Amino acid sequence: MDADTAIGGPGGRFPSTHVSLIEAAASGLSDAAMDQVIALYWKPVYRFVRLKFQKSNEDAKDLTQGFFASALQRNFFARFDPAKASFRTYVRMAVERYSANQHAAENRQKRGGAVEFETVEEQVIATESPELEFDREWRRQLFFLALDDLRVHCKQNGKDVQLGIFEDYDLTDGDRLSYSDLAVKYGIPESTVNNHLAWARRTLRALITERLRGTTSGAKELHEEMRRVWK
Amino acid sequence: MEVSDSVLERLRLVTALPDLTGTRYELESEIGRGGMGVVYAARDRELGRRVALKVLEVPITGEAQLIARLEHPGIVPIFETGTLADGRSFYAMKLVSGARLDRYIADHHTLSERLRLMRRVGEALAYAHAQGVIHRDLKPQNVMVGEFGEVYVMDWGVDAVAGTAGFRAPESTLDRLSDVYALGALLKSLVSASDSPAVAAIAEKAMRADRRERYGSVSAFLADVDRFEQGLAVEAWSEPVWHRLRRFASRNAVLLWLLAAYTLVKFLLFFLRKF
Repeated sequence: MDADTAIGGPGGRFPSTHVSLIEAAASGLSDAAMDQVIALYWKPVYRFVRLKFQKSNEDAKDLTQGFFASALQRNFFARFDPAKASFRTYVRMAVERYSANQHAAENRQKRGGAVEFETVEEQVIATESPELEFDREWRRQLFFLALDDLRVHCKQNGKDVQLGIFEDYDLTDGDRLSYSDLAVKYGIPESTVNNHLAWARRTLRALITERLRGTTSGAKELHEEMRRVWK
Repeated sequence: MEVSDSVLERLRLVTALPDLTGTRYELESEIGRGGMGVVYAARDRELGRRVALKVLEVPITGEAQLIARLEHPGIVPIFETGTLADGRSFYAMKLVSGARLDRYIADHHTLSERLRLMRRVGEALAYAHAQGVIHRDLKPQNVMVGEFGEVYVMDWGVDAVAGTAGFRAPESTLDRLSDVYALGALLKSLVSASDSPAVAAIAEKAMRADRRERYGSVSAFLADVDRFEQGLAVEAWSEPVWHRLRRFASRNAVLLWLLAAYTLVKFLLFFLRKF
């Protein structure tokens, strides 16, 4: 299978077409709300489509874009009923229906033509659960976005030292600097390293919660999703 | 900056831990997890003792504050409630060492011991009801038996708790009678019909789908358990005649043995006089 897209990753790398999609939406949701939804769900939807329907990178991107465009045109997100399912489940089921219809339409067009065989690699990947992958990607995306929020927040509020300590300690794979090493590096007492780290973690948690708040229907669903993230 | 899966998992773990900055507690380890929150063992630095910290996502308001004021030997005392630096709420409670009821009973099989446990649970529940508090999620996992056999009812419910399947009453709004239902379910989980049909009937009556057919209160439930333990007929069961006779014999065993002995002596004396 070819490499995944970088679209939908951290760093505000969303295609500008998303802005136009949001503007075109005849939904009761605000642009900011839609922005949050798409930021969080673009990548999980893309990964789900790739795995479930074994699409190439480009096809999966097109299908994902098509799904969000269709959802916005049909005011789909505004029709979410929290009594029936979580918003996350609602989106996953909708993309499954949408992609299945698109997939079937494509196959009808191809009927009679050359038969496409899956590569061995695709067959192996297809044995993973796309539903699990959707949830995994959703969680990953949530943390990516919140990390970006944390960086912006730190830069805007002069918290470069806090961010530096946090990145050195919590975002490092393998061997990490000790508290005393970090104290020397930043020229502060160890207890301050501890406090800065606690502040960064606390703020990251708050930013994750805010991201969830923007994509859930209320307190009940928010707490259920928080449990899902931190279970 | 890309982040690996292992770093993401680490972030998930460190952001899950409660931020105890500014409190008197030091985190030790996670000891339990429920619908409403996570319980940690922690050390109270000021008093030099270990406590249980229950950390909740929802704020402690209304009834939860009432729960914090409950004082009963069968209810785990709450030392402090508050809000953590990360915005979550917490209770600091006595750290009970012992076993959960469902695990404790695996090693304690006697009916009288199980009924003793039920009595302690019922007494705590009756006290709470008198204070205007209902449990909402009574089940074996929420009852702890301490090292000396003391019983603690834990995890007193707040509004968001919806009960647990098998112990939750069928009605949509939970109240005292729903707790009576859960108490019956608890008794049913401890005692089978083969142990005692009368006790099974008490559990069954407490668990009636029609609320009007249940015991009207926890006290009424306990009174029926009392009657059983005293060898009296229970309100919940119209027992067969043979069972009633057996119960009568069991309650009056000494008298019956004395009567039998008297009859035997009289019989022997009658024959001795004849020969």
